[in-house]
Amino acid sequence: MKIIASYSIKGGVGKTAASVNLAYASAKAGNETLLIDLDPQGASSFYFRIGASKKESRSYFFTKKNRLLKNIRGSNYKRLDILPANLSFRNFDIMLSSMNKSKKRLKEILSSLEDEYDLIILDCPPNINLLSENVFNAADMVLVPVIPTTLSERTYEQLLNFFQNNNYKKKIIHPFFSMAQSKNKLHHQTITDMEQRYPVFMKSIISFSPEIERMGIHREPVLAYASKKNHVQAYRTLFNEIVNVLAKDK
Amino acid sequence: MKTSQINQAHYLLPDNLTKKLFLDTLKSSFSLKQVENTTENFSVLDNFEWRLYQKKLMAIRHKDQSISLWNESDLFDDELALKIGDITSQSKFWWDFPDSPAKKTLKPILNLRALHPVYNGVLKIEEFNLQNENGKTLVFCQLISICDTERPRIPIMRQIRISSVTGYIKEYNLADKLLLGLNAFEPTLPPLDSLLGAIGVSPQIYTVKPELNIPANMPARAAVSSIISTMIEKQRLTEHGIIKDIDTEFLHHYRVAIRMVRAAIAQLKEVFPPQDITVLKQRFGNLAKETNYLRDIDVFILDKARYMNFLPESMRNDLLPMFDDFEKNRQTEAKRISRWIGSRVYRKEIEELQLLFSNGYSAVETAWSEKPTIELAVNKIQKTYKKIYKAALKINNSTPDDEIHDIRIDCKKLRYLLYFFGSEFKKKKLKIVLNHLKSLQDKLGIFNDLTVQGEFLKNYLIQLEHKPKKDIMLIASLGGLISTLYTMQIQERDKCIKELAVFSNDDNQQLFSNTFIVSSRGLPKAHKRAKK
Repeated sequence: MKIIASYSIKGGVGKTAASVNLAYASAKAGNETLLIDLDPQGASSFYFRIGASKKESRSYFFTKKNRLLKNIRGSNYKRLDILPANLSFRNFDIMLSSMNKSKKRLKEILSSLEDEYDLIILDCPPNINLLSENVFNAADMVLVPVIPTTLSERTYEQLLNFFQNNNYKKKIIHPFFSMAQSKNKLHHQTITDMEQRYPVFMKSIISFSPEIERMGIHREPVLAYASKKNHVQAYRTLFNEIVNVLAKDK
Repeated sequence: MKTSQINQAHYLLPDNLTKKLFLDTLKSSFSLKQVENTTENFSVLDNFEWRLYQKKLMAIRHKDQSISLWNESDLFDDELALKIGDITSQSKFWWDFPDSPAKKTLKPILNLRALHPVYNGVLKIEEFNLQNENGKTLVFCQLISICDTERPRIPIMRQIRISSVTGYIKEYNLADKLLLGLNAFEPTLPPLDSLLGAIGVSPQIYTVKPELNIPANMPARAAVSSIISTMIEKQRLTEHGIIKDIDTEFLHHYRVAIRMVRAAIAQLKEVFPPQDITVLKQRFGNLAKETNYLRDIDVFILDKARYMNFLPESMRNDLLPMFDDFEKNRQTEAKRISRWIGSRVYRKEIEELQLLFSNGYSAVETAWSEKPTIELAVNKIQKTYKKIYKAALKINNSTPDDEIHDIRIDCKKLRYLLYFFGSEFKKKKLKIVLNHLKSLQDKLGIFNDLTVQGEFLKNYLIQLEHKPKKDIMLIASLGGLISTLYTMQIQERDKCIKELAVFSNDDNQQLFSNTFIVSSRGLPKAHKRAKK
């Protein structure tokens, strides 16, 4: 079982779109896949037409495997399950800080799902806090969407510094360009510069596309309703690239 | 989730349930989203022996000629099908298929047999997701309908499968309840039997080996008639496949069946009047002889890859002209045999022969004709075994090949006797005897094949002499092949001699005399009473 986190300190960079479509691509490729919506806003869950569970339970997430399993919902697609977000997730930090081994709780509970899934994708909230550190400890790959702008570049560097200062393995960070606009000169320049500076960038680039924006109306992964469009297929190529990277890391 | 209990139910829909009522009932509680709807002409495939069916597998050929293969538990689940694409309607043997898991599965099952259609019809697959008002799928649902090609709108079978979605078990139970309310019913048979039954296909398992249960006290002639009659039936079942040239196994089994008939006539001749024996031998002999050449070429062509590998790589292609010749000859010969078996003359002959035995052969009584079968069986089995072990004792390194071949023929006779009368003896001991015999026959068989193949090649070489244009490389590679076969033949001969020594040792002699006996214990009750 592998765990991928779709993560960025910055919001609105395409984390959820990536999580949802990569999870879909993974299930279609035959993997038992679980998408965990860690963001209390519940956008991933929304895209899969799953409402947040009504009861606002507290600490089950990090402690009780059975209760965690009970909250998992099948999606409209075979082999793709969702653990929907819950408003209580906003209190993850408080919950975690009161626990011992507070930075490894997520890793522990996820590893108990080893027999159930081939791939777990974490759709993370935009933050850098105790939950993020749990994510860094748990994930085999931290996939970072980067909009090719100066500001995003800065946030990406902040993340690298954080990893450096806190002794996390930088090699698990795999950035990719997200919401890139081919006609935008600044985007073009930033991509060229950053690819040179950080060869670790994934080759697949997710472009800005109205089709992707319409996911909120369709309420399904864009790969499910517009899979033939070039911009959309980039998610599938990104998934294949991820598979190769994970296989090499083995 | 891998280990979650995905609930699944299969039902057959009653004939009188209309599609409208079916859909309306589901719509009363769910929104229906159709995600798949395909209709196509298709064929269910199997080989003549129903080996796929026996392995609980089903293969279908789609309209585009591709093949899907399922375990019976996954029937029609597109995602779980093993698929074979990139093939034509002519691709019917495992070696015609591109490398794939499906090919790997089929290879040992099909062996030399062709996959051929056992049913043609129209297949309609509809998949509905049962959803809530938000468009969230709560239950997966698949409806399979099969119709006759001639009446493609009227289903002769409708099967529904519902599967639960993780976290929505209540909704699954509701769908289940709705279906049961429509009198959907669980098939009583396993999925494959249920499907084949519904479309009116009944598998006839075929094996050329007879399973005879001849009572020990049955009069010998009646028993031998029944053996011969069974074998002629088996022979006749292969005729259709030879006429259509479906695969080479039909002819092979045709010949095996005739060989057993001829063995029964020759070995158990005492039950028939001597003048009849000559005629019967000749009539069945003619049937066998007619097919000799086609079988010889079949064997050669089937072994093409093996022969090529006997030669150094650089010479392998030089053999190809010979195989081209064989292929051409095969085509002509197979057509001739197909015409012959389809002819009125053949049918008249085989029907006459069949009639002679189907109700017991009628002729004047002979010394053996009315004796209990067991006495005939024991006498013949013991005599044949004695003949083999006496000959085996004399074998040494200078024994001519012909004598080894004679032993091989006697072993075959013994094997057939055991097939015919095996049920009259103790199962456990018989199994040991058969295992010994099989091991010996395998070695003798290889030895014989090498000799026959060497001869066949020599004859081909002689024919080449008359050709105006001499292909030197072909002649050279044939020479290489013949000498390789000869070296192998010598090695096999040694193995045969060693195996024969085992077969004729004291232990085995003891085993034979203990196993094949006429004891009052070995006889059924009725016979014991008669003896008293």
